Amino acid sequence: MKTTIVLVTTTLLLVGLLVSTTMNTQQRPREDQCFVCHDMLEDEATVAFRSDVHRSAGVSCADCHGGDRFEEDMDIAMSSAKGFIGIPRDIAISKACASCHDDEERMRNAGYTGPIGQLASLRHSAHAQGTHSGEELVLQCTSCHGAHGIRPVKDPRSPVSPLRVVSLCASCHSDPAFMRTYNPSLPTDQLAKYRTSVHGQRNLAGDPRVTTCVDCHTAHDIKPANETTSSVNAFRLPATCGKCHSDAEYMKPYDIRTDQVSEFTTSVHGIALLEKGDSGSPSCNDCHGNHGAMPPEVTSISHVCGTCHSLNAELFRKSRHKVEFERLGKPECETCHGYHAVQPATEELLSLETNTACGSCHGHERAPVGYRAANIMRGLLDSLQITVALADERLHAAEQKGMEVDDIRYALRGAKQARLQSRTAIHAFDLDVFREVMDPGLLTARNALRDAEAANSEFFFRRYGLAVATLIITLNVILLILYIRRLERKDRAVA
Amino acid sequence: MSNNHEHRRPLRPSTFASAVTDWFDERIGVRTLIDMARKKQVPIHRHSIWYYLGGVTLFLFIIQVITGILLLFYYRPGADTAFESIRFIMTKVQFGWLVRSIHTWAANLMILAAVMHMFSVFLTKAYRKPRELTWITGVLLLALALALGFSGYLLPWNELAYFATKVGTEITGAVPFVGKHMLELLRGGPQVNDATLSRFFGFHVALFPALFTVLLGIHLLLVQKQGMSTPLNIEKKKEVKSIPFFPNFLLRDLLLWLIVLNILAILAVFFPSELGEKADPFAPAPAGIVPEWYFLFMFQILKMLPPKILFVDGDVFGVLLFGLAGLFWLLIPFLDRSSQKGLQSRNFTYIGIAAIIVVLFFTILGWVS
Amino acid sequence: MTEQQVSPTKRSTLIKLLWGGVAAFVAAICYPIFAYLRPPAVSGEKVSSVLVGAVDDFDPGSGVHFRFGNEPGLLVRLDDGSFKAFSATCTHLDCTVQYREDMGLIWCACHNGKFDLRGRNIAGPPPRPLDEFQVLIQGGEVHVKQS
Repeated sequence: MKTTIVLVTTTLLLVGLLVSTTMNTQQRPREDQCFVCHDMLEDEATVAFRSDVHRSAGVSCADCHGGDRFEEDMDIAMSSAKGFIGIPRDIAISKACASCHDDEERMRNAGYTGPIGQLASLRHSAHAQGTHSGEELVLQCTSCHGAHGIRPVKDPRSPVSPLRVVSLCASCHSDPAFMRTYNPSLPTDQLAKYRTSVHGQRNLAGDPRVTTCVDCHTAHDIKPANETTSSVNAFRLPATCGKCHSDAEYMKPYDIRTDQVSEFTTSVHGIALLEKGDSGSPSCNDCHGNHGAMPPEVTSISHVCGTCHSLNAELFRKSRHKVEFERLGKPECETCHGYHAVQPATEELLSLETNTACGSCHGHERAPVGYRAANIMRGLLDSLQITVALADERLHAAEQKGMEVDDIRYALRGAKQARLQSRTAIHAFDLDVFREVMDPGLLTARNALRDAEAANSEFFFRRYGLAVATLIITLNVILLILYIRRLERKDRAVA
Repeated sequence: MSNNHEHRRPLRPSTFASAVTDWFDERIGVRTLIDMARKKQVPIHRHSIWYYLGGVTLFLFIIQVITGILLLFYYRPGADTAFESIRFIMTKVQFGWLVRSIHTWAANLMILAAVMHMFSVFLTKAYRKPRELTWITGVLLLALALALGFSGYLLPWNELAYFATKVGTEITGAVPFVGKHMLELLRGGPQVNDATLSRFFGFHVALFPALFTVLLGIHLLLVQKQGMSTPLNIEKKKEVKSIPFFPNFLLRDLLLWLIVLNILAILAVFFPSELGEKADPFAPAPAGIVPEWYFLFMFQILKMLPPKILFVDGDVFGVLLFGLAGLFWLLIPFLDRSSQKGLQSRNFTYIGIAAIIVVLFFTILGWVS
Repeated sequence: MTEQQVSPTKRSTLIKLLWGGVAAFVAAICYPIFAYLRPPAVSGEKVSSVLVGAVDDFDPGSGVHFRFGNEPGLLVRLDDGSFKAFSATCTHLDCTVQYREDMGLIWCACHNGKFDLRGRNIAGPPPRPLDEFQVLIQGGEVHVKQS
C-alpha cells in the first residue's frame, strides 16, 4: 500500500515536470522573430526578403544584422548586448556576407555547391583599388547582388544573371562622369561596343549562354588587363576565349569552328605570345577587337594585319593581287598565310606546286604571267639563301685558318638584309620591284663568296712564300753538304 | 817583308776575328776554352745517328723562345682578351699565322724529339757513370717541356684548351693529401677561369723557361765536359773512329737543323693552327675531350683503370702509379747496377723497350677511341 | 798527292756561294720577323674609337653611315648643330637603319621600324632603342667612341 502511493506520486510528479518543461519551451517561439515582426510591418527590405534565396535556406535577418532572432521583445532582440549592428555600412556589409560565404565547411554543410571565397577575390581585384576616402572596396556584395531580394545567379530575375548583368556593370562603367572620379583614363564605351558584337546581339536577343562581362573578366576577381594575372591579359586571353570557343559541345548550337585556339597556339603569333612571352605579338583581341569582337570582314583583313605589318599591307594594296582578290572574293593576307594558324614565311611559301598558295591559282596555262614571275622570284630567293649560307661557311673556315675575313663579313650584312627585305618586297607581286631588292643582295652575296673562297686559298701567297723559303734552305743544305764533304776530304787527305 | 807592309796590314776577316778573340782572351781567357773545344771528338759508329736528336731538341727550343717572344708582343692574357688577341695575331698581324703555327708545331716536335732522344740515351745506357747527372737534368728537362706544353695549351683560351685543362688539372686533385691544394695552386682557385689563365701565363713565359734554361745550361755543360757516350759494345772495341765536334759535327747538326726548319715551315703552311671557338665555361663540355697527344697514354690508362682498386680510388692509384714510375725512371742510373759497372744490362734494355711499347700502345689506343 | 786536291778557284766559289746562301737565309728569316713586328693598321681586336670626318663635312639635319669596327654606325647632325652617333644595327632583326630627312627620324627599311633622334624606338617592331656611341669633337674633327 505504501509502495503504491510512493510510485503513483513519483510518477505524477515526473509527468508534471515533463509537461511543464514542454510547456515552457513551447512558450519560446521557433520562428525567426525578426522576419515575423518586420513582415507584418511590410517594410521594403522584408518584402524583398520573402523571395530571397537565403530565407529558403533558413538564414535569418539576425545572421547579417546581429541580434537575437528568437527574442520577441524588440528592445532585447535588437540590443547591442545581443550583437545587433543595425544597418551595416561599407566593408561591414561584405564582411557579413563573407562570414558564411568565405567559410567552405559551413557552405558545403548547408548544401551549397557554388564558388566560395568571393570577398577574398574581391579584395585583390580592381574594385579594391582607388577608392574614395580610403574605404577598402569600391563596391560591396550588395552593390551587384542586391541586399534583401537575392536570387541565385541563374535566376533570370537576379541582377547578376546573364541577361541582366551587362546593364548592371554598365550602370557604372558606361557613366563617364562617374568613372572619371575613379580612373579618368578608363574607356566607357564597352557596352556600346559590346552591343555591336555577336556576343552582345545574342545577349540582347535573350541567349543566356553567350558571354557577358563576368564570363571574360570573371565576377569577383576582376583585374586590369595589363596585370599578368588578369583573365583578359594578352597572355591569358586565348585560354579565356577558349573556355567557350574551344568547347565543341558548348558551341554546338552556334555552328562555328572550335579549333581557333588550338590553331593559334601552333602559329607564329601564338608561339611568340605564349611560349616566348613576346608582348608585341597579337592576342585574340588585337585582331578581333575587345568588346566589339567580330571576325574581320574580307576586305578589312589587310587593315587588321596591316596595323603591324604595315609595309606588307601597303605594297599589297598597290599590287595587282588586291584587285584580283577582291574580284574573286578572296580574303587578303589570309588566302596565302591563313589566319589563326599563320606559320613563319619562308622561301617554301613561294611555291608553284598544286595546293600551295601560289600554285592554287597560277599554272602554266592559268595566269601564266604570274606563274613565270613566281618561278623567277623563287629562283632568286633560293639563289640568295644558298649563296649567303655558303659564304658564311667559307668565311668561318677561312677565319679558322687565320685569314682576314672582317671586311667580307661586313659586306655580307647587305646580302642578309636583302633576304629580310625580300620577304616584304614580294607583296608587291611585281618582278621589277622584287629585283630592286634582290639584285644588289645577290651581287653582294656572290662577291662575298668569291672573296671568302679567295681568303681560303690565300694559301696561294703562303705557298709561294714557302716555295721561296724552301728554295733558299735547299740551296743552303746542298752547299753545306758540299762544304762538309770538301772539309772531310781535306781532313782525310791530311791524315 | 818590308816594315811598310807590317804597319798597314789590312784587316781581313781572319785577322779581325783573331783580334777580337785576343781582346776577350786577355780578359776572360777564352783561348783555353777554344782549344778545349777544338779537341772535342765525336765518336762515329753504328748508333751515332742518335746523337743528333739532342741537338734537334735544342734547336726546337730556340725556335720556341724566338717565336714565343714574338707572340708576346701581341698576346694579351685574360679571359676577355686572350682569344681575341690570338685571332688578331692570326688575321691582322703580318706573318702572325706563321709565327703562331710554327710555335705550335715546334712544341709538338720538340717533345717528340726529346722523347726520342731520351729513349735512345736509355737504350744505349748513356746514363751510366759518369753521366748520371746528365740523365737527371734531362728527365727534369722533359718534365719541364711537358709542363710548358700543358701551360701553353691553355693560353689561346678556346673550347678545346679550356676543357683539356679542366680535365688535366682535375687529375692532380687525385693525389692523396696534397691533391686538393695542388689543384687550387695550379688553377688559382677551385675552378678553371681567368685566374688560371694568368697563372698559366706566368708559368709558361717566365717560371718554366727560366728553370728550363738553367737546367739546359747544366745539361749542355755536362755534355761538353764529358763528351758523347759510346754504347758499351762499341766502347769495348779499341779503334773507335771519330770526327771533330768543331766544325764537322756542328755543321752536320746545322744541316739537320735547316731541314727541320724547312719541315716546320711546310707544316705551318699546310696545317696552320686553328682558332677554335672561344672558351665558354657555362657551355657543356664537347664530346671526346682529350689532352694533347703527349699526355694521351696516361689519360688512356687512367680511363681504363677500374673505379676502385683494393681500397683506393682508381684515379688515386693511377696517379700514384705514374708518380712512382716517374721516380723510377729518374733514378734509373742508380738502379741499373750492371751498367754502372760497365757491364751489359739486358734487363734494363727490356725495361726500356717495354716502356716504349706501353707508351706507344696506349697513345694509339687513346687516339683511336 | 797529299796536297790539297781542290783548286783554289773552286774553293773560293763554294765559300762565296755559301756566304751568299747564308745571307739569303738570314734575309728570309728577318723579313717575316720585321714585317711581324711592324704594328698593323688596327691596334687591337676591339676598335675603341673612329674618326668620321671634319665637323664642316656634315650639314645640320643630315645623317651619314660610317664603319665602327665590324659594326655599321650612323652619325646624325641635328638641326641645332650637335652630333649624335648610334649603332646602325636595328634592334629588331639587325638590318641597317638610315636617317630620313623627310621624316626627321631614323628609319629601318626592313619592317618600317622608326627611331627618334635620341635613338629611342618609337614605332614598329624594334623592341629596344639603338645603341648609342659617344661623340667627341677634337680639333674640328668628329670622333666616335664606344660609350
